[in-house]
Amino acid sequence: MDLKKLLTENEFVFLDGGMGTMLQASGLEAGENPDLLSITHPELIESINLKYIEAGADIFYCNTFGANRLKLAKTGKTPAEVISAAIKIGNSAKAKASRTAYCALDIGPIGQLLEPNGTMLFDEAYDIFKEMILASEGADIIVIETMTDLLEAKAALLAAKENSDLPVMVTMTFEQNLRTFTGCCIESMAMTLAGLGADAIGINCSLGPRELRPAVEKLCSCTDLPVIIKPNAGLPDPLTNEYNVLPDEFGQLLADMIPLGIKIVGGCCGTSPDYIRAARREFEGKKYQPKEFKPVSAVCTASNPVFIDCPRIIGERINPTGKKRFKQALQEHDLDYICNQAIEQIDAGAEILDVNVGLPGIDEKEMMLAAVRAVQGICDTPLQLDSSIPEVLDAALRVYNGKPIINSVNGEEKSLSTILPLVKKYGAAVVGLCLDEDGIPKTIEGRVAIAEKICKRADALGIPRHDICIDCLTLTCSAEQEAAMQTIEALRICKEKLGVRTVLGVSNISFGLPQREIVNRTFLTMALTKGLDLPIMNPNIASMTSAVRAYRLLANIDKNAQEYVANYGGETPAAAAPAVKQEDMTLGYAMSHGLKNDAANITAKLLETTDAMDIVNNILIPELDRTGAEFEKGKIFLPQLILTAGVAQSCFEVIKDYLSKNGGGGVSKGTIVICTVKGDVHDIGKNIVKVLLENYGYTVIDLGKDVDPMLVVKTAKENDVKLVGLSALMTTTLKGMEETIRLLRENHECKVMVGGAVLTPDYAKEIGADYYAKDAKQSCDIAKEVFGQ
Amino acid sequence: MIDYSINIDEAIRYMGYRGFTPAEREMALIKDCEKQLREYIEPAWIYRAFPIEQTEDGILLKGTSLILGGSDIRGHLEGCGSCVLFCATAGSKADELIRLKEKEDMIQGYITDCLASAAVEGVCDALETELADKLPDKHLTWRFSPGYGDLPLDIQPKILAVLEAGKRAGVSCTESLLMIPRKTVTAVVGISDKPIAKKKQGCALCSMKDRCTFRKAGEHCGS
Repeated sequence: MDLKKLLTENEFVFLDGGMGTMLQASGLEAGENPDLLSITHPELIESINLKYIEAGADIFYCNTFGANRLKLAKTGKTPAEVISAAIKIGNSAKAKASRTAYCALDIGPIGQLLEPNGTMLFDEAYDIFKEMILASEGADIIVIETMTDLLEAKAALLAAKENSDLPVMVTMTFEQNLRTFTGCCIESMAMTLAGLGADAIGINCSLGPRELRPAVEKLCSCTDLPVIIKPNAGLPDPLTNEYNVLPDEFGQLLADMIPLGIKIVGGCCGTSPDYIRAARREFEGKKYQPKEFKPVSAVCTASNPVFIDCPRIIGERINPTGKKRFKQALQEHDLDYICNQAIEQIDAGAEILDVNVGLPGIDEKEMMLAAVRAVQGICDTPLQLDSSIPEVLDAALRVYNGKPIINSVNGEEKSLSTILPLVKKYGAAVVGLCLDEDGIPKTIEGRVAIAEKICKRADALGIPRHDICIDCLTLTCSAEQEAAMQTIEALRICKEKLGVRTVLGVSNISFGLPQREIVNRTFLTMALTKGLDLPIMNPNIASMTSAVRAYRLLANIDKNAQEYVANYGGETPAAAAPAVKQEDMTLGYAMSHGLKNDAANITAKLLETTDAMDIVNNILIPELDRTGAEFEKGKIFLPQLILTAGVAQSCFEVIKDYLSKNGGGGVSKGTIVICTVKGDVHDIGKNIVKVLLENYGYTVIDLGKDVDPMLVVKTAKENDVKLVGLSALMTTTLKGMEETIRLLRENHECKVMVGGAVLTPDYAKEIGADYYAKDAKQSCDIAKEVFGQ
Repeated sequence: MIDYSINIDEAIRYMGYRGFTPAEREMALIKDCEKQLREYIEPAWIYRAFPIEQTEDGILLKGTSLILGGSDIRGHLEGCGSCVLFCATAGSKADELIRLKEKEDMIQGYITDCLASAAVEGVCDALETELADKLPDKHLTWRFSPGYGDLPLDIQPKILAVLEAGKRAGVSCTESLLMIPRKTVTAVVGISDKPIAKKKQGCALCSMKDRCTFRKAGEHCGS
């Protein structure tokens, strides 16, 4: 039987058991790299491979789990050398065995976490896996296992798919709460890996077969791919590291999971050939019972699947169209602004976020990547990647953690032939617009016809209908009044006839009319009753979001009105009554008492009568100065300083918004580049400094954390920056700081200030900094000195 | 589920209040942040006991090639025949929350960060309680971490490898020796058959003693 058949036919497939366990039993010390043994002790590895084949493994894993360039870095061996040695051993074991078996290239986690949890970039992870996969000659299958980060699993799977024709199995490691350590849930894992083309998916390591049963049950209900289960031999005793499930019980517990729908079984830590033999015995005479799987329409991030089984709100605000302040943010590469747009919409009820960062004059691909990384770093809401450029979409689809929606494909040949293959390759959902070379059809039939055409082309590529979201296009009612009903009718027909999901940008309907909210809301409700699944709208407008929630209540989706009551049933949270009546409150009072919203409101009101720069110079700055002086005297403490700075920040946001609407660019006192240096991910101190500097009117280019020294130099040169601020928290990362200063000195004339827990004034001098800032307040004093104001 | 507590007073000290009590409004904010943080903390730990052996280079954990170097750990483990090596973490969701809070409102980010530091100490305390329960006839030292005294920080990756902390607790270490999740502690606890003279934990041993912001203000960090 060949391997593909083995995976697809209605038979059980047996894997091997633990390799590390066997090696430790042979004397390998805990914490040692076992991969080199393929070179130093080939006979030992071969004997283990052989024992597993003889015990009944159909597929055994070669000794390559950690053979990546990072883990081998100090061994003097390359992944290619170690992997080919291990695969050669595997093939030799196959040849000596009395039964047929297949050998797998085994790929474990890199050992370094990807962004945003760690510092590794997606492309680097991909490269590391690619290097392993290119060495897979002689292997029959690729196994990616023990993954906890879905994005890392995706990097490995993409590397396998793009560099090899071998089948690929992927297993991840779940804890008792049905999540991995990085928070990935089973639904997200299943839909993402299936979309990317895995041949079988499953669960390995972490727990024993008894504890993993709920996870297996869940996974079997989430996929039609063959399901793998490779548990540990129970739980280890923490003190002695001995496992508590013996072979016979292990085999029984695995066999008990047959009705759940498992197909591929083996063992992980603590298991030996006896466990595999016992499993085979228990499975003897039993039949594989694949579980019936009903495909669902859904998108996800690693930790948050969103099922499109009822109307879901897509927030439209991350989009520069018609928004001067947003355009300014894009030009300034202000990712915090974009993140805040995300947070605001999620708080208001958005369940998916559209991300569009297209603006003439900026590098859209680079900006899209930065935006996706930034937004995915702070929230778990799935994204709709919105661009008209296939290369931008391709780049974003690679780094996206989960299953996104692509916005969009349309009926034009060029669009169909470039976008749909991306949808297929990355397993995304897609918005299909009912327009083509001839524009938007006037008739209902015309639009349905384009939707059909998109569906047929998608069918041909194997893109399922439930991943297609048809947009019948909202036209402006003031221009074409008869069009509104046509759009809704086309939507109804598409949904019924084509079995697709439907999506509509709602806000456009009222363009040019007064009281737009009334029209938008009514149009939204009308469309919902005809089957609209995904309204793209502004969730920050309370009446729009409430319309969707009310619909979910009335359509008997929101059972027992739980969601509705949770959102609208409680008492309005009473803000702690300030000692001063709202109308009497001054901006200074609001700032010193940490009243963010009040301060923003007062600022907005002041702008009606007072010049923006007067507010800044006569109220905000003096108040910040006063707080800063009190901080220095020890009268107030860091939290209070940050609190006041945060309030000032909200005032400045109001002023910026006002200035960008009224044509004024604002006056910047100077540009400062700041970052946390290479190797360091502690950035809270740097972020506090940023807020304070911005408060004082400086333009801050924040390069983030773990920043390459050359990027600092490049940015400082390009923007002709006079002051650079560097932060480091660990003694181990001061090297990165020193290196950055050295490179700055060689390439650009500027002052450098440094700060961070491990720095001292002496050390700052020693590494060549101009200033040592002991706290955030002092960094502002330094900036004043450098810029002379 | 690991039962841990967050010592709020400790967290307030980390925030830099220097012994003063936060104003009512700030206290309310701290309480709110704590409540939310608790939903994000996913404590996990992994520990293992090893017999130890004195060698020229330091203390060897038998069955591994991990050697604890420096004179301070030697003093710490004096009279101990074995030790427990552990890794305890507040989990990656706590990091996630801090990232979010920093963007949303810096003060909440800062407070949450300090609370999470106190939380992982709470997880370590819970682990020590479990060790004491599991080893009723033994006497345990306090926990000693890499970077403290002259125990080098660069054994961190080796500790994580020995404990298989990646797959068992979700902890990894960057090339610059930062552990991720960020609110993670590794440490060594000595096990002795005889009562141990409680050595005072103090600043004298600490590698940060010349740089510490607490000490600059005439205080100590409390560890």
